[in-house]
Amino acid sequence: MTPDLIAFFVLALIAIAAALGMLLGRNVVYSALFLVLNFGTVAVFYILLDAPFIALTQVSVYAGAIMVLFLFVIMLLGTETLPVSKALPWQRPLAFVLALILAGEAGYLLFFRKVTSGTIPQPVQTFGSPQAVGQALFNQYLLPFEVTSVLLLIAMVGAIVLTIKEKGGQGK
Amino acid sequence: MFTSTTFLSILPETLILILGVILLIVEPFWKVKDPSSGGDEQRRNAGWLTAGGLFAVLVISVLVGRPGDPTSTFGSSIRFDWLGFFFKMLFIFGAGITALLLMDHEKVGRRGEAYMLLLASTIGMCLMASAADLITLYLAIETTSIPLYVLAGFMLTDEHSTEAGFKYLLFGAMTSAIMLYGFSLLYGFTGTTNLYALADAFKSGQLAAPVMFGLIVLIVVGLGFKVSVVPFHFWAPDVYEGAPTPVSGFLSTASKAAGFAVIARLFLVVFHDVAVDWAAVFAILSAVTMTVGNLLALPQKNLKRMLAYSSIAHAGYAMIGIVAVSKLGITSVVFYLLAYIVTNLAAFGIVMTVGRVTGSDEYDAYRGLSRRSPWLALVMLAAFLSLAGMPPFGGFIAKVLVFAAGIQANYIWLVVIGILNSIVGLYYYLNVLKYVYLFRMEKEDEEAHPIAVTRPYAIALVVLVLGIILLGTVFAPWFGFSNAAAMNLF
Repeated sequence: MTPDLIAFFVLALIAIAAALGMLLGRNVVYSALFLVLNFGTVAVFYILLDAPFIALTQVSVYAGAIMVLFLFVIMLLGTETLPVSKALPWQRPLAFVLALILAGEAGYLLFFRKVTSGTIPQPVQTFGSPQAVGQALFNQYLLPFEVTSVLLLIAMVGAIVLTIKEKGGQGK
Repeated sequence: MFTSTTFLSILPETLILILGVILLIVEPFWKVKDPSSGGDEQRRNAGWLTAGGLFAVLVISVLVGRPGDPTSTFGSSIRFDWLGFFFKMLFIFGAGITALLLMDHEKVGRRGEAYMLLLASTIGMCLMASAADLITLYLAIETTSIPLYVLAGFMLTDEHSTEAGFKYLLFGAMTSAIMLYGFSLLYGFTGTTNLYALADAFKSGQLAAPVMFGLIVLIVVGLGFKVSVVPFHFWAPDVYEGAPTPVSGFLSTASKAAGFAVIARLFLVVFHDVAVDWAAVFAILSAVTMTVGNLLALPQKNLKRMLAYSSIAHAGYAMIGIVAVSKLGITSVVFYLLAYIVTNLAAFGIVMTVGRVTGSDEYDAYRGLSRRSPWLALVMLAAFLSLAGMPPFGGFIAKVLVFAAGIQANYIWLVVIGILNSIVGLYYYLNVLKYVYLFRMEKEDEEAHPIAVTRPYAIALVVLVLGIILLGTVFAPWFGFSNAAAMNLF
């Protein structure tokens, strides 16, 4: 067992446990925190795969920005604990059937079909490195990059428009 | 890397962005004393600035920003050619007229943010027309849609408007996710995001037929939503009805034309060599769209809903030109969209003008319009006859070209369906004119209830009517422009 493999299995266990904890948790805040843990472990996976840029993006965007937003929304709505859920009557049987189908497919592919993955070409060493991403972003994809800034400006204007309280009647 | 062509290729977008930033900075401080509300300081209406600015952008772009031979700029993110340029000018024209129509909208007109959103959406459309890379294309589509979601739901106190905004957002987000899935598969199978490099990959036939068909279906879902083709049309009537009227007009014209610009480029450049596969699907979509749109327009009693269904039907007609997969086909689509934008904006302009005074968009509000405001009724006559495809208006030439392209490509059955549908269309357009010209207001003297047309509306409607007549009579130069645009795809 190489150190990488050991690290992978430990992380995999943590990731799965965190995902289960998120699904089964009764308290929404705990669920959200479990999801942060899950995102964090996935970020470490990316580092194991030599993709530091995606790893940092995962941490800053998903674990950072998005999850903090989630927690804020949960706090603002004040729905820390879930009400007793009223599951639809057909939901459980359907979920069971679908899960069986998925397990069957996975089993078939694993045991009965000889999958030959072929030779996957090794990506160049710098593929996906922050430098390479930066080079591509500010040369070939300069225009899309700038367009996103327009998009963000519009998102701000739109958010203000949709949340501002009108001072009764016409004009403000 | 940067040459003057590079900057010329995004000249309209840059100018619109500058205009938008000026608007955002100036508008809050730009106040006048309004005598009508007791001398309180009121924000000055930013509509003149927006509309004037957009027409200035139009003029500057036509004078200096014309493309030469098709070139790729910005690391081939942008294709600088006549097709993109012609569509850009159309969008800017449409946005300018929409800004004029927004000005006297009671709830929207005095808020500068609305104009900013309109400008941003126009930037997105311009990029949609010239994008040559899947990433740019997707960002352009989102830049177009997101401001429109907000604009559709702009009137927060009006539950119809809120519903419209929300419905548009949900439909838009879902279809755009499906389309993005298609784009990602396209990249996964070919390893490139550039449209022209993708075209080479398709030429060499490295994709299996079922994969390709699946990809095309995924992409059609997203674009079909933008142009409201039939299985993806459910949002259109509710959104058009609930959104502020000028915004509905913008949605049904410029936004739809932008969708067609993307369809034309994507399908004639990337999927050109597999045209036999998708042309048949598009033919069926076109036939169903025309028929469903026209039949559902028949029982409507609300003019905005009727125009929504009619705009679905028009997407079907325009699609015949795409189905034809020929130079004449694309020329006819471009011309059709030109005529349709001018005509339908006029139709929505009238709905706005009348709705502002009567407060209703039902057919009954139009009783005796010819006596209340003869000139307005005349504009309405021109717009609706053009929508129905009557000479000497632009809609007639547009329909002739589209049907001619269909016949040239041997889609006789499709053209027959199209002509039958035009007859259905004529019925419900004339039905509205019946209210305008033949019916009278009950127990009222119509001349005592004139409909005031404010200056921005008068300017917009006059420009549009001149356009409708010009397109139907002196159509050769417009046909020439459309043809030059279409040439760039072959």
